[in-house]
Amino acid sequence: MSGYASAGGPVVFDPVTLPADDNVNPYTFCVELKGSQWFLQKGKMIAYYGSIDFNGIGHGRLDRLVRTSFHSPLHASDWVVAEGSGKMLLADRAFDVNSYDLDQGNLTVRAGNLIAFQPSLALKQSIVPGFLTLIGTGKFVAASNGPVVFMEPPIRVDPQALVGWADCPSPCHHYDHAYLTGVMGGLRAMTGIGGASGEEHQFEFTGAGTVLLQSSETLMAEPSTGAVPSEPGVPGGGAAGPMGSGTGASGVPRLPGQLGDLQRRFGL
Amino acid sequence: MSFREINSKMVEARLAPGQRLFSQRGAMLAYTGEVSFTPNLQSGQGGVMSMLGRRVAGEAAPLMTVEGSGTVLFGHGGHHVHVITLTGDTLYVEADRLLAFEGSLRQGTMFLGSQGGVMGLVRGQATGQGLFTTTLQGHGAVAVMAHGGVFELPITPQRPVHVDPQAYVAHHGEVRNKLSTALGWRDMVGRGSGEAFQLELSGHGTVYVQASEEKL
Repeated sequence: MSGYASAGGPVVFDPVTLPADDNVNPYTFCVELKGSQWFLQKGKMIAYYGSIDFNGIGHGRLDRLVRTSFHSPLHASDWVVAEGSGKMLLADRAFDVNSYDLDQGNLTVRAGNLIAFQPSLALKQSIVPGFLTLIGTGKFVAASNGPVVFMEPPIRVDPQALVGWADCPSPCHHYDHAYLTGVMGGLRAMTGIGGASGEEHQFEFTGAGTVLLQSSETLMAEPSTGAVPSEPGVPGGGAAGPMGSGTGASGVPRLPGQLGDLQRRFGL
Repeated sequence: MSFREINSKMVEARLAPGQRLFSQRGAMLAYTGEVSFTPNLQSGQGGVMSMLGRRVAGEAAPLMTVEGSGTVLFGHGGHHVHVITLTGDTLYVEADRLLAFEGSLRQGTMFLGSQGGVMGLVRGQATGQGLFTTTLQGHGAVAVMAHGGVFELPITPQRPVHVDPQAYVAHHGEVRNKLSTALGWRDMVGRGSGEAFQLELSGHGTVYVQASEEKL
């Protein structure tokens, strides 16, 4: 981060002093394009130098690119390809922006937090709804509210504080069973007296890997990750298996943490 | 045990068995180990009477008790977090600015009218503290939230500190505060400087100021 800083004044950048593929400040990231391509989410580019073309993907000559590195064709319209040469600045509503390098790795990130990635990475929809998985080698840029903190499993994370995870094969829900059940739990649920601690439900991660946390519970706006194929066995796919997905026999959505209706418990 | 600032918006607390913490509900970001979070009906310490007191005073911020053994990360709403360590003196802070505090601290409610009578009430209205404020006393650490970064200004008898009421976060020590007004005819006709009300703190202690005039 050179630039000719006049004493105490703001740092002035020009095309030469702008960093290449690095942060300009905690809220802005600069991407250098030399005839290469980057995927970015629509509306995250704030400025650029040079000659850069921004094309919507999913049609025409970019079809091949979608086929090789973009495996969520159903929401391809949320993304654009930047190609050309020059320097491009990315930012997202003054959230903290960070780049991450993957080396033959995988990382799953909340769909709203991902800003841009290199086409050498493959983007796929995660089985977990609302998340996207990046696989391969390359660099990507993600936003977070507050700096990102890396933690090792085993850990339990507030759903709103989760940014993503790498290499953990086992993201699962954790309910505070003692709190939700029993006489006091029932009383609380019926009367509302006592209130909720807001922490009866977390995401739990075990095994080897890394979990990415943001420092606050403010979420990004959640873009659609695209519909998943409507097939039996696909979570959120609509076509429910014989046991139904999330809704009881009466069709009423189940509350989080509810154990299941009586019919199911008695095997009726 | 105390709080460790991981970054400007997140603190880490280490819990050992037998220790307890109070924290704002929903402010836990992540934890390792076996930790339980129980909503706190009384929104703090003390019995039913202190709960009623807090309800009446409007200082009943929803709190939860954190117990067990492990590491807990706290953060809330993207606000900046500042850790204050108390060594026997009293911290005056609004209840909704409390992110977390150690169970070794004694929590209380103070009527602002008891500090300067009617002017105390006027001051409470101007600072947004209302008629009551929360006190924490004893030995331990407190994590308070602020909009924008927090800095501390020492108060000495020779140097009283003037603070914009909206930027005031908390103070501790033997501090007298009074609202100084600089109202003139310009304020009456709507051409004031916008700084007509200031909080003047004098005595021995520290005042914590946020770098923003936005309330939480």
